[in-house]
Amino acid sequence: MRLTIRGPAAHLVLVFVTTRRSKNMRAVALMGIVLSLSASTSAIAQSGVGVEVDEVIDNRMSDGMLTGSLELRVKLKGSGLEKASGARILVKDARDDRGTALAGSSDPPDFTPREYNSGTLNFSLKQPARAASKVHVKGTVELFVPSRDPAATVKVPNALSKLDQPLSLKGANVTLTLMSREKYAAALKARKITDKDIEQIRAEGKAHGASDKEIELAIGLAKAMEGLDSEPPEGAVLLSGKKSDFDRIYRVEILGSDGKPIDIGGRSTSSRGEDSLMTLQPSLAPPKDAALQFYVLTAKSKVAIPFEMDVQLP
Amino acid sequence: MRKIVFAIVIIATLIAATAVAQSDVNVTQVNDRRSSGHFAQLVIRLELPKIKTGDVAASRVLVSSAVDDSGASLIDTEAGEPQLEQNYQSPDPDMGKNPVSVAVNLKNPARKVTKVKEVRGEVELYMPSKDANSIAEIPKFLSMSGKSLSHKALKANGVDIALVSPQQIAAEKKRLGDAKRKEYTASGWSGDDLESMVKTYTDDLFQTDEGDLLVKITDPNQRIQSINYVDATGDVKHVSRNDADGMTKFSTWGEKPQPDWKLQVSLKTPKNTQRVPFVVRDVALP
Repeated sequence: MRLTIRGPAAHLVLVFVTTRRSKNMRAVALMGIVLSLSASTSAIAQSGVGVEVDEVIDNRMSDGMLTGSLELRVKLKGSGLEKASGARILVKDARDDRGTALAGSSDPPDFTPREYNSGTLNFSLKQPARAASKVHVKGTVELFVPSRDPAATVKVPNALSKLDQPLSLKGANVTLTLMSREKYAAALKARKITDKDIEQIRAEGKAHGASDKEIELAIGLAKAMEGLDSEPPEGAVLLSGKKSDFDRIYRVEILGSDGKPIDIGGRSTSSRGEDSLMTLQPSLAPPKDAALQFYVLTAKSKVAIPFEMDVQLP
Repeated sequence: MRKIVFAIVIIATLIAATAVAQSDVNVTQVNDRRSSGHFAQLVIRLELPKIKTGDVAASRVLVSSAVDDSGASLIDTEAGEPQLEQNYQSPDPDMGKNPVSVAVNLKNPARKVTKVKEVRGEVELYMPSKDANSIAEIPKFLSMSGKSLSHKALKANGVDIALVSPQQIAAEKKRLGDAKRKEYTASGWSGDDLESMVKTYTDDLFQTDEGDLLVKITDPNQRIQSINYVDATGDVKHVSRNDADGMTKFSTWGEKPQPDWKLQVSLKTPKNTQRVPFVVRDVALP
């Protein structure tokens, strides 16, 4: 069932799609037709999730090193959202009213915790045509609902006593290693950018038609990123694993002796190829018996809700 | 008489030609940031090929006219006069040889518009290296509380800066409090209410956080461009300046100035401030 709700602002169009197909689906659909648009607001509150445009930025750039983009910020509306820990927008197709395809080919974005930025979600599209006035977007809202799958929450008791040995998160099919500081330092050393790496960046840049200036900038950026891999502070929890496994981790919590999460002041993940390192910096040194709790993005814990919306360009 | 008029016309033409030659600019980037929310603007970046970025400490662009190809003006009439903005300097000295780049900030043109027909204005460049009296650096300035800071660049620019001593603060508090009391009394206030209002005024005016300094500044020609502290290692600390009723408060938001720090005052002078006229036409919009 799809109900389209047009709000007071001309650019704001809500599209609502039910998430569950029940036995009463036909009856609900029939009711929806009978009641038409006048009933739509209450229908949203009862049985589905909708997407509403919150802000549109058409950041148009002339040709050069920087490329323009269309940045969209949306709000999610409807019931059931309180059970979701995180959400993200996956764009299937996006076109402006001049026919320009705007969906990118980049990796899917990370899930955004629901408590961030008042629950709004951001996503990017390619720069639309200047002559365009409207963009139509089709995609899905993906919610992470860990309560839907017991395998999505994995607790590893006394995790800090299991340094430098693989931790298998049973049921979630993820393997990570909690690292000692020595092993972490060795891993960082192995990731240093070599002359061979720089030559490879140059060769790839030239193959893609980049100018010498652009290539040097890329090398400078790579070196700057390497500089961020510094020695972690005391008390940091260090994890290594495959990038594909880290991509499936929504969040890692450090649980104190009382079983409650310890506040984590900083967390970062860096990848080189298929190898990833994660650093968690708790605000207090974790006790020896601290447990780690992993929230894993399993298939059952994710709910995909299709949406379509029209966006008026500013 | 005709010859004189002719000569004037020739000279005027030559002067105009010089101005045009000075106005050589290249458009390097156009960013039309269109937003349904905040920070919507059109930014045209200009490069001045004859001026090295390493020579420019700050700049601003004063636009006199800007129209798109529909004839609409792109000048944001609600924006105030732009202030000189610091020109970022790369630690790599070779980068200082590159041409300086400035941003012309305008309103968004309509989507149907494809070109900015013409933008005219002046780029103001602050170039301290052009004048020996551009920078005053006063070592161990904290030891000079209660006295005017002495430096030839301050003197040459008619600037006087004095750190206010605790005794002077007490005297100023009394003087300004008395003046305010007189003003409130004339407005009909009296008794406890009057005293409470005078106390609130003086408390607010003289309230300082740790690390704040109260100073008196005389700068009749508005020559001060910026004020910084410089620590013993040469690290520059930006000073935020707040002026009220003849008193100025220096704040560094947490960093307390130390006895071995210098006070660095950058000054604008006729020699180090240059205005370069420019005109750009038919700028294609992205």
